[in-house]
Amino acid sequence: MKELLPAYAAGTLPAAERDRVRAHLAGCPRCRADLAAWQVIARAAAPAGPAPDPARLVRAVLTRSALGGRPAHPPRRLRHLAALVPAEARLIRPAVPVASTLVMLLGVAIVVVQAAAAAPVGAAQVLALVAPIVAAAGVAGTYRSGRDPAAEIVAATPTSGRLLLLVRIALVAGYDLVLALAASAGLAAAGAAGTASLNALVGAWLGPMALLSSLSLLIAVRFGPDVALGVAAAVWAVRVLAGGVLVGDDGPARFIVQAWATTGPVLAASAAVTVAAVILAGRGEPGTGRRATHPM
Amino acid sequence: MARPGAGSDEALLRSIAAGDAAALARLYERYAGALFGYLHRLAGDRMTAEEILQDTMLAVWRSASAFEGRAKVTTWLFGVARRQAHNRLRGRSGPEPAAAELPDRPDQGAGPEELAIAAAGGTPVAAAIDLLPGHHRDVIALVFVAGLPLADVAEVLEIPVGTVKSRLFHARAAVAAALTAQEVPE
Repeated sequence: MKELLPAYAAGTLPAAERDRVRAHLAGCPRCRADLAAWQVIARAAAPAGPAPDPARLVRAVLTRSALGGRPAHPPRRLRHLAALVPAEARLIRPAVPVASTLVMLLGVAIVVVQAAAAAPVGAAQVLALVAPIVAAAGVAGTYRSGRDPAAEIVAATPTSGRLLLLVRIALVAGYDLVLALAASAGLAAAGAAGTASLNALVGAWLGPMALLSSLSLLIAVRFGPDVALGVAAAVWAVRVLAGGVLVGDDGPARFIVQAWATTGPVLAASAAVTVAAVILAGRGEPGTGRRATHPM
Repeated sequence: MARPGAGSDEALLRSIAAGDAAALARLYERYAGALFGYLHRLAGDRMTAEEILQDTMLAVWRSASAFEGRAKVTTWLFGVARRQAHNRLRGRSGPEPAAAELPDRPDQGAGPEELAIAAAGGTPVAAAIDLLPGHHRDVIALVFVAGLPLADVAEVLEIPVGTVKSRLFHARAAVAAALTAQEVPE
């Protein structure tokens, strides 16, 4: 019986049970005292004022619904990435793609002009010289540097630096790749003198481009973009000299030329170096990098 | 509870899910007193209770389509209100008040008689209820303010009915003990 008293005091008992309790209470002083205690609680717990006006409340709710939008869901990964690419593209200084295009056009112009000359230079050789250094220079500039006007904001974003770096590499390397492919296709279609098939043309620069770009990236992550650019230029100069001036059929020169070709091992090494660079990018700051917050 | 007909709670929720603001107003009018009283008792002050009430009706407005009809509309509604209250009151004032000073066991010598006497003497019972730990206040508010049957209270709190009853008795004993403790020094 005692168990029913709270609900009886609250007035939530079904009619049958309510009548049963009422009949019992008439003859049981202990239960009447118990009920009185529950009634004290029920009265004390009752609200002090009326509920807010319905019209006002509903208006406030609809206003909040219209203004507030949906509760913030974390963005889906793919959609997040899709939004990240154009956002990063805006951060790349226009000088980078413009300079790449100009250098590549210069290479094409040399091929075309040389084709008219007495001793034509092969289009494959020219592209193999130009495309890698263009891509390496572009990639060297992708890693955030102190001169990047967005560096502090980038350092403070919740998106990981590695992901941002990957997106930038994909953008810049992809752009340079498209540029070199376009130049190759254009030359192959024009049928300039000494032009091999499109496959052979692409093969002439793809391996060196991948290797030089990945090296450039690794150095940029560790030592900053200036060092990366310098090292890439120096390494490439050695390769050019080995291929042209220091033509020797044996010795180191031949080994150097072989190391800069479109082969499986070279592409695999490039991928490994890129992975190493991305892992390293998450570890710390490059020498010239700046932290979003400075240690006190 | 009304059958799923034209004016039933379920029909109102379906209209709300379809974007009918008048249905939201009607559902609110139906439960305004119980909902607001419950939230007022949980929050302790009118301003906060009104904010949570808005949160609750906003959640109803947005998620009415998620109501699957497995529970009663009443228990679903108070479940939503309870979650919203929890969201807003979480971490508001540090640890649960007075859990240490209010004995949790019923056999403290403070029985219903003491409670009735204290109330008759004008001792603020409401203040003692406000000092109860959250899970006790929740049960008191759902039973006596919202006026839900014990079975519905159990469903809202997701605990067995027996636990609802024992919490009620513990809460009453704690209030009685607090009141007699106040009486002693005077």
